[in-house]
Amino acid sequence: MADKEIHDVIMVGAGPCALTAAIYTTREDIDTVLFEKGVIGGLAAVTDWIDNYPGFVDGISGLDLSDALYKQAERFGAEIRLGEVTEIIDEGSMKKLVTTDGDIYAKSVLVATGSDYKKLGIAGEKEYYARGVHYCATCDGAFYRDKRIVVVGGGNSAVQEAMFLTKFATHIDLLVRGDSMRASEILQHELEKHKEKITVHLNTTTDEIVGENNVVTKVVGTDTTSGQKIEIETDGVFVFIGLLPNTQFLASSKIELDEIGMVKTDSNLQTSMPGVFAAGDVRAGATMQIASAAGEGATAALMIRKYLEDHERGVIAPPSPATMSAT
Amino acid sequence: MVKNITIFTTNTCAYCVMVKKWLGAKGFAYEEVNLDTNPERQKEAFELSGALSVPVTVITKEDDSKEIVVGYNLAKLAPAVG
Repeated sequence: MADKEIHDVIMVGAGPCALTAAIYTTREDIDTVLFEKGVIGGLAAVTDWIDNYPGFVDGISGLDLSDALYKQAERFGAEIRLGEVTEIIDEGSMKKLVTTDGDIYAKSVLVATGSDYKKLGIAGEKEYYARGVHYCATCDGAFYRDKRIVVVGGGNSAVQEAMFLTKFATHIDLLVRGDSMRASEILQHELEKHKEKITVHLNTTTDEIVGENNVVTKVVGTDTTSGQKIEIETDGVFVFIGLLPNTQFLASSKIELDEIGMVKTDSNLQTSMPGVFAAGDVRAGATMQIASAAGEGATAALMIRKYLEDHERGVIAPPSPATMSAT
Repeated sequence: MVKNITIFTTNTCAYCVMVKKWLGAKGFAYEEVNLDTNPERQKEAFELSGALSVPVTVITKEDDSKEIVVGYNLAKLAPAVG
């Protein structure tokens, strides 16, 4: 029988949080493997432009930032595998990870799977997915040259991606459920500069996506101030209405999640399973910022280093229930 | 057996980077059609895939049959090139 494959730390995810953590752990000679089932760089990689990550005076594209973090982590010896972790099983001092590459063992684990865009859950959304309904402007925007687009959402992602889509579209209708935008002030000021191309509809729900002959033709919504139904003609719909944590793979584990599925940790970023840490957008209380995710990745790496040192000495401190919280 | 692979991409598509990275790691050569620089080929990508989305990976087998994979979907890509 083959020997078990054992690593000091396995990081689940390879976004800014895990890549930063990997830069720190590999520089400490901690044997580090990352598993990524999606895109290296996570949601940051599919973000057109990042203006608030420190150190880049003129901003940086999400793809370039992700590539730089990836290359930096690889430079110090991090191994990134393109595969999926489907379960984490606590075997005491060792954690068994069930993966698409088979079972792998680790002395410690960092869950940094981030989050993904929420779906609207309305009629037509599934039916027209990738044929008129999209969640990635940088991937699919190019198909809407000289066409009309609806963008749903009023937060930073919706505003930023709507502005990106002006490169292609003749007109964009931005549907915002609330009576004000949640996007940052600076993005709202930027949005003003695009008012000839982007029409903002506040107090407007998105109720149905309608098409004909396999092509999206309109969005049906409701003006919540008057209760009137509205119809907006469009060729495509891009949805950015918030984030959901990628924690479905933890459903059968004993790792404690909060009511919306985010991972609870103590003040050392350790989860309810000793030796398993969580950081970044997946952690309860996360601020959903790339800079914060990177910072938490660095903190998690230092906590993991201490855990491994204690592990070597046979001193294992359990997670602290007193500090286990959603903040 | 794979005869050739074509990937339709755009400049800003992170999933396209992942498909290229994955195929490269598996030792497959591919032709890339960038739809930002070749917008006239968008229609071809749509007709092949039925999707207004990239990446579209077209795997042509030795018998000239084709498998089309939309997105970075390892569950479909791996058997398609296997």
